[in-house]
Amino acid sequence: MSKILEVKDLKISFRTTNGTLKAVRDISFNLERGKTLAIVGESGSGKSVTSKAILGILAGNSIIEGGEIIYDGKDLLKITEEEMCKIRGDRISMIFQDPLSSLNPIVKIGKQITEAMLLKNKGTRRSAREDFNSTLALLKESMISAAGGSDKEKIGELVTTFDKFNIEAIKLENDYNTARTAAEELVADIDEFIFMMEKKQKQDVKGRLKDFAAKLKTVRTPYLTKNYDSQLTTMSGELDRARASYQQIKGEGIQLSQEISELLAKLNTLLAELLAQPRPDFFRIGYYMLKNPGDDLSGRPVEEVNEMTLRYLEDNFMNEFIQLAEKGIAHSFNTSLEKKKALLPKLQKACEFYLGSFDKVSARKMLKEIADEVDASIDRLETSKDSIAYTFRTALDNAIDRYFTAIVKNPKEEARYAKQSKKRDALIARGKTVDWKVVPKVVYDLDELKANISAVVDNLILHYENHIAVADSVDFHARSIALVDYFKGKASQIVQHITKRMAKEKAIKLMTEVGIPEPRIRYYQYPFEFSGGMRQRIVIAIALAANPDILICDEPTTALDVTIQAQILELINKLKAERNLSVIFITHDLGVVANMADDIAVMYAGKVVEYGTADDIFYDPRHPYTWALLSSMPDLDTKEKLDAIPGTPPNMIYPPVGDAFAERNKYAMKIDFEQQPPKFEISPTHWAATWLLHPNAPKVEPPRIITDRIERMKKAGGID
Amino acid sequence: MSNTNNNEVLLRVENLCQYFKMGSSELKAVDNVSFDIKKGEVFGLVGESGCGKTTTGRSIIKIYDITSGSIFFKGQRICAGTRSYKDAIKAAKKELRTADSARKAELEKIIADNTEAIRQAKFDHDHSDEEYAKTLVAKVEADYAPRFEEAKNDPAKLAELKKAYKEDLRVAKKTKLITNIQMIFQDPIASLNPRMTVREIIAEGLIINGIRDQKYIDEKVYEILELVGLVREHAGRYPHEFSGGQRQRIGIARAVIMRPDLLIADEPISALDVSIQAQVINLLNELRERLGLTILFIAHDLSVVKYFSDRIGVMYFGNMVELAPADELFAHPLHPYTRSLLSAIPLPDPHAEKRRTRITYNSLAEHDYTTDLPSMREVAPGHFVYCNDAEEQKYKKELGL
Repeated sequence: MSKILEVKDLKISFRTTNGTLKAVRDISFNLERGKTLAIVGESGSGKSVTSKAILGILAGNSIIEGGEIIYDGKDLLKITEEEMCKIRGDRISMIFQDPLSSLNPIVKIGKQITEAMLLKNKGTRRSAREDFNSTLALLKESMISAAGGSDKEKIGELVTTFDKFNIEAIKLENDYNTARTAAEELVADIDEFIFMMEKKQKQDVKGRLKDFAAKLKTVRTPYLTKNYDSQLTTMSGELDRARASYQQIKGEGIQLSQEISELLAKLNTLLAELLAQPRPDFFRIGYYMLKNPGDDLSGRPVEEVNEMTLRYLEDNFMNEFIQLAEKGIAHSFNTSLEKKKALLPKLQKACEFYLGSFDKVSARKMLKEIADEVDASIDRLETSKDSIAYTFRTALDNAIDRYFTAIVKNPKEEARYAKQSKKRDALIARGKTVDWKVVPKVVYDLDELKANISAVVDNLILHYENHIAVADSVDFHARSIALVDYFKGKASQIVQHITKRMAKEKAIKLMTEVGIPEPRIRYYQYPFEFSGGMRQRIVIAIALAANPDILICDEPTTALDVTIQAQILELINKLKAERNLSVIFITHDLGVVANMADDIAVMYAGKVVEYGTADDIFYDPRHPYTWALLSSMPDLDTKEKLDAIPGTPPNMIYPPVGDAFAERNKYAMKIDFEQQPPKFEISPTHWAATWLLHPNAPKVEPPRIITDRIERMKKAGGID
Repeated sequence: MSNTNNNEVLLRVENLCQYFKMGSSELKAVDNVSFDIKKGEVFGLVGESGCGKTTTGRSIIKIYDITSGSIFFKGQRICAGTRSYKDAIKAAKKELRTADSARKAELEKIIADNTEAIRQAKFDHDHSDEEYAKTLVAKVEADYAPRFEEAKNDPAKLAELKKAYKEDLRVAKKTKLITNIQMIFQDPIASLNPRMTVREIIAEGLIINGIRDQKYIDEKVYEILELVGLVREHAGRYPHEFSGGQRQRIGIARAVIMRPDLLIADEPISALDVSIQAQVINLLNELRERLGLTILFIAHDLSVVKYFSDRIGVMYFGNMVELAPADELFAHPLHPYTRSLLSAIPLPDPHAEKRRTRITYNSLAEHDYTTDLPSMREVAPGHFVYCNDAEEQKYKKELGL
């Protein structure tokens, strides 16, 4: 499993007129590829702020006090707005809480869905082209140096051919896919039409027949319909004739003639036959077509074509290319390995340097020295990016920065605190009532900050040592195949030219996918013409339009009712499985999360108070706040009085000294008001920050309502 | 929740239809819905958004003029629509053209009856409050007559009594039947006037009702504030100074200060935070016990409705499709829509959730109403389902009857 997003020690505050509001205080979590992380907590706990920080859309009065958000080898808190634009919406997408405020009231729905597709398309194509070219150039270079300077021209030729036929193949495949989807849609449409007619629903028969004929035209493409050409031509002719001769008899209701229903049934069987054909492999065909531009393969049986082109490709090109690429990759890997080995003693030295005494200038100088070399030691031909090495520079820079800022800030903070408390004490001594509190002082532990700096270097050393230890067992053949796949993926992005019409079709498909009836009519409507549930579906469709890696859902179903909520959750789960999407799911309803989440983080007052897998949180909750959340909502078997959480969350301008939940917690102990609890590990996947887990704490049972429910659930699920 | 064993019907809704004009066509928001609410019970109304549950609630409190049907509150008709009578007249007039003389007389009688019914409906609809005020006035007069008789010889006492009588009479004249029904709205922020203090918001109902005694009003406001879990000091503040849960408490206070018999709670907890939702549910439960309230609870969160209600009505596209006691409905859901609704409830149990299969409901595929039209039928005692003959047999078989 690979981490796709990593949040480390994130701290965010907001400047307000009353003081600095500490919204997020030191939270860390990892998001694995293809998994769902749920963040649960009530409003004001900092869940939304965290998600907004990931997307870089925090309000203007926000201060990011520290931390890192690492995605794809970049720290999202440090990159420029331009770079962020490429990630936001395209790679990381968000569904907002309030569907009404996230839609533009004066722009039609269709335009709002297609807008991003059309705008992003050009940029995606360009950046995919850049990635493709730069990686291919790197590969070429390392192939040449692996061969020791000989065969330079041959390698150059191979690389150019690879570049060309890839693009050719993907173009063919795009056409094929479009036609295939059109055929699938047509089958579904005809089925629905016949069903509605049987149920005597009102239908625009002529319009529908016209639609079918138009769609039939888009189905036709060489590799899909070559063998069916004549049949399709007669079919569309018959459709046109049937439409012309169709007349509705007044007063008799709508009825289809025998002829039309037979025709539609025939069309459906034909299309089903068409779709049952196996898929041609265009990667191979592309190469064949490049070498033999005159030949036409489309008429022949698919199996035969696949077999023949495979042989052709392997004999003439692929075997050679893969062999060379393998060598190139091995070469690049070994060079990087050598560099890493050579770098280790230097890193050790740096580590020691940062443990000793240093000033700002020398620390920066050291940083520059080693960071440049670390950058150079990265194996750029590796398809999965090594985030520790990639973010080493920013991580180290931050750690140094924080240390020197604290040196300056700490005395000021002490002075302010002393001044305020003195003033307050003086007022109290004069017998006045004081209605304000002294803002608690925020003093950083300098030793800890200093240790953090060398820890960053140490982390990298450990990482590299692991790397070197497993270096012998690297499978270069598998890596070369992965690299070819990477090129294929980039090539498909390069040729994906989206026209307005295609965007519309895609939007309508998305709208159908998210469950909007009559999408063709709805496409031209304004947001106010939609109900709340429908609006939220539109928002989801917009978020999915760009096919993102990470989807952040900020209370997506809070405004919806159960059936639609269930549908939308299922939809998100389905899309997650299909697209290997990673989801951050923010909600206050634990019930919703049970089916969605792989991991759950419970947040309160800007901190994660309990973290674990879904099973951990639901079957073995440990933090009193998790208990409170679980027991405050009834389930279907609840009869007794609900355990409401008394009071409201604390004012985060004056964050409590101890555990933030202590004031509302009936299990609170004296220490809860004095000191913040550390994380207590319960199992490798599960921890909670509460003093109740301390070995010296008294044994406390969760509320009856929860233990009973867990008992019941275990019985029903057959778990011991 | 305990089922109340009393059969006094507080509110009766009969064939309620509420249509909205949409250009040339009509939107049937609520179509032919009937149910009773007994005194002291909590009646839950569930369904997805747009199914007409909120419209039903608003029609009962006369925010809309209903299209057809009647609503009886405490035995008196408070709302009445005329559409059904008009349709009957139209049909009769059409038939009149071709009918023979014997039938003609019959039809003319139908027309006359329905015309009278329209007149009566219009009168009831417009004058229900006045009629109620009249009974109150009569009661006050009956109350004071013996006391006047008693104080006849004491001029000082008589003057005092006269003053009190005048005051009571004025209040009685102003009292409306509809104030016995109060409503709590979904969004506590949008339903409170930001320029009024909490005191003004809560006391507004009393003032409109004709009470002028400031001391009495203040006392009432304080009493009600404490009842809903706020403190006296809050009376002078403005709504924006409160958290979401406290605002909803203010909304509840505004409703219960009129000492209503029926409270319509239109999604009172959907806009609130989790921890606050439980507080509000507990508060409503407490108020219900202390004040003997009857509640029409409109919500889409089924676990909450199940927890809170005695009987539940399930609505689908303007129709009531199933009505049964809460436990019965969840134990034996009969209508396919109810089943689909129940299968969609999220549970705080990951293993159960993974096994859950959601049932989808498609009314066209599910029912065949081409020959036999459905109606509301009592399949088991107290358990009503919207079905036709064939389906009724099927459901009865399922229940083992």
